[in-house]
Amino acid sequence: MRTPSGRIAARLGLLAALVAGTVQPALAASPEGGTNAAVEAARDFWELIQQIRGEGADTTRAGRGPAVRPQAVPAAGPEGPVIDLSDLSHPLTIEEQLARFAGTPDNELRLSVPGGAARLGAFSIGSEQTLQGNLLIMKGDAEVFGRLDGNLVTFDGDVVVHPGGVVSGDVLAVHGTIRATGGEIGGESRELRESVAAALPPEPPLSALQVTIRRLAGVVGVFFALAALGYGLVAFGRHNLQVVSDTASHSFGRAFVTGLVGQILILPTFGMLVVGLVLSVAGILLLPFAVVVYALLVIVGVVGGYLAVAHAMGETYTRRRLAQGVLVGAPNSYGFLFTGLAATVALWVAWALFGWVPIAGELIRGAAVLVTWLLATAGLGAAMLSRAGVRENFAGRIIPPEALTDEYLWATPQFGVPAVKRPGAGTRSTGPGV
Amino acid sequence: MRRWTAAAALLAAAAAPLPAQQMRDFSTSRQHHGESRLSTRLEFAAGTLRLLPGPEGELYRMRLRYDPERFTPVSRFEPVSGVVRLGVEGTGKSGLRVSSRSQLEQAATITLSPAVTLSLDLALGATEADIELGGLRLAAFRLETGASRSVVRFSEPNAVRCSSAVIESGAAEIALVGLGNSRCEQISFEGGVGKAVLDLGGTWSADARLSVTMAIGELTLRLPTETGIRIVMERFLTSFPARGWTREGNTYLSPGYARAARHVDVALASTMGGVRVEWIR
Repeated sequence: MRTPSGRIAARLGLLAALVAGTVQPALAASPEGGTNAAVEAARDFWELIQQIRGEGADTTRAGRGPAVRPQAVPAAGPEGPVIDLSDLSHPLTIEEQLARFAGTPDNELRLSVPGGAARLGAFSIGSEQTLQGNLLIMKGDAEVFGRLDGNLVTFDGDVVVHPGGVVSGDVLAVHGTIRATGGEIGGESRELRESVAAALPPEPPLSALQVTIRRLAGVVGVFFALAALGYGLVAFGRHNLQVVSDTASHSFGRAFVTGLVGQILILPTFGMLVVGLVLSVAGILLLPFAVVVYALLVIVGVVGGYLAVAHAMGETYTRRRLAQGVLVGAPNSYGFLFTGLAATVALWVAWALFGWVPIAGELIRGAAVLVTWLLATAGLGAAMLSRAGVRENFAGRIIPPEALTDEYLWATPQFGVPAVKRPGAGTRSTGPGV
Repeated sequence: MRRWTAAAALLAAAAAPLPAQQMRDFSTSRQHHGESRLSTRLEFAAGTLRLLPGPEGELYRMRLRYDPERFTPVSRFEPVSGVVRLGVEGTGKSGLRVSSRSQLEQAATITLSPAVTLSLDLALGATEADIELGGLRLAAFRLETGASRSVVRFSEPNAVRCSSAVIESGAAEIALVGLGNSRCEQISFEGGVGKAVLDLGGTWSADARLSVTMAIGELTLRLPTETGIRIVMERFLTSFPARGWTREGNTYLSPGYARAARHVDVALASTMGGVRVEWIR
């Protein structure tokens, strides 16, 4: 616990350290040393006090770093950098050029301005002064009380043209503002601010644990959403779901190829539908409805087919378990769907858990995407083959006539067909071995 | 376990933050130095646009917030011809297509001097525009809109006579309010698909002609009762409430047409949709 006097002492110590830190580089960088350095140090100290008091001598320069000691920028050699300020109609290009020099140490900056001059730090043109040519001010404000016959550009600085001040050409403030408080600007005034988002603090990156939790939550959310849809489908369309599911089981290859072709034809079919409706005068009114219905059909086909495949997977797994004599809790469509969905999201769970592992994570993700696409394609194909569970041709439910032997019919109850009327039941003599 | 922890920490440290969406602010202006005419050409592909009269001492000013990924600001003034080009143009990387929401968050506010005679040419894309031309000295006006929602208002009478106003609208919703104040001798409106409101209110200082073509959509005509309106109509699958009008073939005369001090002739062609009429006082 610090006492108030201790706190004040600590603050003074910090202030002294700050002052020392600010003054020392100024002294070191000053070639003149002596008087100028003392003036600079006093100015920095005063600015520091004002900043601490929250007043700020130069509020426009807040956030642009420490003030730069005003000085002329020496011209570069023949091969050195050149900034042409005769045309300011492309401010982005000029910003890009000037940004290259912004990081150069002040004492190393060399720049040529054809027909003009470059300066570093704040600069003002006195009321009795007339400057000829284009003027560039880097990292400082430009104050015009007199006359500038040319263009004026500031980089990381503002422009103020005071009453009576004249800039005959264009003015460009890159990362700054322009104020012509009664002054005259003969040409165009352009302000280009920094990116808006650049001023915002960057979002902190997520840790691996956070990423894993987020992904896991996503997978669980998708699983429950599909489970809810599937349970609704079982409750209200069990027969259709079972037919699509059986189609996927019994004709998987055919269903996959059909689904693949269906995916390829989705967009051309949609295009033909739209063109057909547009060409027919009456049909154009149906266009919005047709678009919505088509989109819904595609979604229902893909999602319903995927759920049917999950159902088929669950059913196959459960029947195998039953055949092994294992007691299964719910050997019905709800159970099949839950089991199948759990199997289909297993790879995604693996990705959620280990997706952050380099290379392996990407491989798991690729496998999950591939398997999901495969199942969705087969499901879409099964839905198309069975006409959304209406046609049973590919579901393995229609028994060919040659399979209708007496043994089959005797062993298999045929619902709705009395035994006396079963094929061959009335003609004992036709039965083999009778 | 320590290795796993170290690996996880390393990965977390290496993960880069998501790039933030960046918009930029740009403004341009020019002081008025005695110019008498200004021809303004504005192109704005996407976002929100406001255009209104500014102070007399400023020839024009544009404040713009734009998406630097796809657009670049335009401000070019040609002193000899008195033409200024404002707005945004595509960077060329992805053309002018509107593919991200950030482009729609672009915003521009443009002010023009009421002290100079203006020729205004606007080309708007996916834009929500609010254009106030009342109080300006408008000599000619042209507006092309794409998939936009625009309101063009003449809240005050135009200070000079306007030779023509041409408005071409694509799949858009557009309202032209107070056309009587525009003082345009010839007004032409071509609508594609959408909704259009033509408000002929305001002070008509002379007789005028209005040409309206609407392909598919709803057209609402707000007509002042004190002005004589004559509509020559060509329509196909278009409804028109003819009750109260005097009909001669495909020509409709508003009630009190002969007694009206000012007359507006409307040539209206509509392919499919409906024409609604609202009377205003």
